[in-house]
Amino acid sequence: MSLIEWNDEFSVGISAVDHEHRELIGLINELYANLSGGAPEITIVDFLGELYARISAHFALEEKIMRDRKYDQYEDHKADHERLLDEIRDIMDDYDDNESFSEEILGERLKSWFSDHFKTKDARFYKHLV
Amino acid sequence: MLKWFQRVGRRGFLHMEAGFNAVFGPRLNPLYHLGALTFLFFWVVIASGIYLYIFFETSIEGAYDSVEYLTYEQWYLGGIMRSLHRYASDAMVLTMMLHLLREFTLDRYRGFRWFSWITGVPLIWLVFASGINGYWLVWDKLAQYVAVTTAEWIDWLPLFNEPMARNFLNEAAISSRFFSLLQFLHIGIPLFLLLLSWVHIKRISRPRVNPPRGLMVGTLASLVVLSLLAPAVSQGRANLDQVASVIQLDWFYLAVYPLFDIWSYGGVWILLGGITLLLALMPWLPRRRPEPVAVVDLDNCNGCGRCFADCPFGAVVMQPRTDSQPFAQEALVAADLCASCGICVGACPTASPFRRTSDLVPGVDLPQLTIREIREKTLAAAAKLSGDDRVIVYGCDFGADLGRLEERGVAVLALPCIAALPPSFLDFVITRKHVDGVFLTGCREGDCYYRLGIEWTQERIGGKRDPYLRKRVPRERIDMFWAGPDRSNQLAQKLDEFRGKLRELGPYTKPRSSHPEGDSRWNDKGVRNVTDRME
Repeated sequence: MSLIEWNDEFSVGISAVDHEHRELIGLINELYANLSGGAPEITIVDFLGELYARISAHFALEEKIMRDRKYDQYEDHKADHERLLDEIRDIMDDYDDNESFSEEILGERLKSWFSDHFKTKDARFYKHLV
Repeated sequence: MLKWFQRVGRRGFLHMEAGFNAVFGPRLNPLYHLGALTFLFFWVVIASGIYLYIFFETSIEGAYDSVEYLTYEQWYLGGIMRSLHRYASDAMVLTMMLHLLREFTLDRYRGFRWFSWITGVPLIWLVFASGINGYWLVWDKLAQYVAVTTAEWIDWLPLFNEPMARNFLNEAAISSRFFSLLQFLHIGIPLFLLLLSWVHIKRISRPRVNPPRGLMVGTLASLVVLSLLAPAVSQGRANLDQVASVIQLDWFYLAVYPLFDIWSYGGVWILLGGITLLLALMPWLPRRRPEPVAVVDLDNCNGCGRCFADCPFGAVVMQPRTDSQPFAQEALVAADLCASCGICVGACPTASPFRRTSDLVPGVDLPQLTIREIREKTLAAAAKLSGDDRVIVYGCDFGADLGRLEERGVAVLALPCIAALPPSFLDFVITRKHVDGVFLTGCREGDCYYRLGIEWTQERIGGKRDPYLRKRVPRERIDMFWAGPDRSNQLAQKLDEFRGKLRELGPYTKPRSSHPEGDSRWNDKGVRNVTDRME
């Protein structure tokens, strides 16, 4: 079972952003599948590292789109991205260090992290575009 | 031979720069801003020239008197303007020639830099032509000497049917119309100079055409003081019926004129023509062996434009997507402009050492030192270290010799430029406890070989420029010292101090994360409250 299902309601109307959101969801689901099924050759830490880089690139692109379209709340949104990246790094380190950090908890935190980013700040920006 | 000249010149400049650094500090060191200073002097010349133009009379009778009026009757304003016009022009020659010499000794004229070099060569002629032309307009004894000598010199070339020097046979021969032509040239040549200066910096992104404010104010003030202490004056009215005798030359513009007494006009043409030709050909004598340029990997490029924003040479352009991915743009490296500095790689968000599952190919990479290799070398070098003051030093190919530091028990890694290192590497090596601290070094501050490497590095770490170094990375475990090639001892000393500080700090401990304890949105298992999430 997937952790997060892509939903057309997620669509923001910019194909590049939709595409990356889909890819990120795919990556999180893949990670989750590995967690549940056990992944011998790829460690969870590596997977998180990959996810972190992809999210960094995704935010970089979102920020470019915002700057190009002169989004008035750019600074706020950018600060939120930086905070979310710090949070992902926290999750990575927590998983890395903490033996009691179960896979379930990791899954939950990733899921809530993703919807957090998705439902709040992003929604405001894309509403602004319309 | 070439290398020898460069080495000697480099040593000379390093001494001078060190002297200026002691007085001005690296940010205001005039030797680091020679091009920008030349521009500043040019603006002063233009501004003062416009003022002089208002009062200048374009006639054989009026020219000298109008300049005398400006100098004496209109003191202070007119006289100072004239002096500023003179001294800023002189200073322009000085900074221009130093700029040329310095770029030569630093080997910054070949390869991808050929365009800026070669467009600089005609600029020299234009600056001299403007200045020498300007000396005619005063129509004093020096003007007479310069006019006659220059005209005869130009007449040596089979350009005009009627020799130009015939204009200066006697007072009656010279017409006011000829004077108007001179004045027209004195506006036209500088305008052309301005246009070509713009072409000269065309291939540089974010060219520094203005010196920093402190240097600008200081320079302008010095010019004014000089104008007050030693005002520029004329050397007696010209009289074509007499040969101009004892005159004082302006050595900045007229240094070549004494040669006319001992050489033929043809000889001087051959000398100056030869020097010009040599300068123009220098980027290919020999040409610099081209290095592999940065390579874009479309699978890892979403067109975020960070490489484009950071390239100091305008070598990265954003173009419409050429593959089937639904992004609007992709990065493209223009091979003939790329300096192979890797600053674009340092800006790429996918150049992250935390990546392992995919093959760690970033959106843009340097073939001669890939991000993957930087990661591997970093880990290999760090693995050899032990103790509680383990440091990795990242430096660049143009800074101090890192080998000496390695002997002292630290890991070192030289990069093409310090800004080729993505900030995530600092996060990675510190928080994954591969080392206890990171030390960055490179060129002298204000004098980065690749122009913006130090600036971008500082801004990325300071959270002022993308990609930011994460806030959670403890800054007390990062130190920098911009040693340049000549301050190895100070670098070693700074590094020792830093390691002492690390020993006091003890091992790295994770910062309190932004989640569980103390944050009501998280329950004790680290799971976010569902109700909260649904809001």
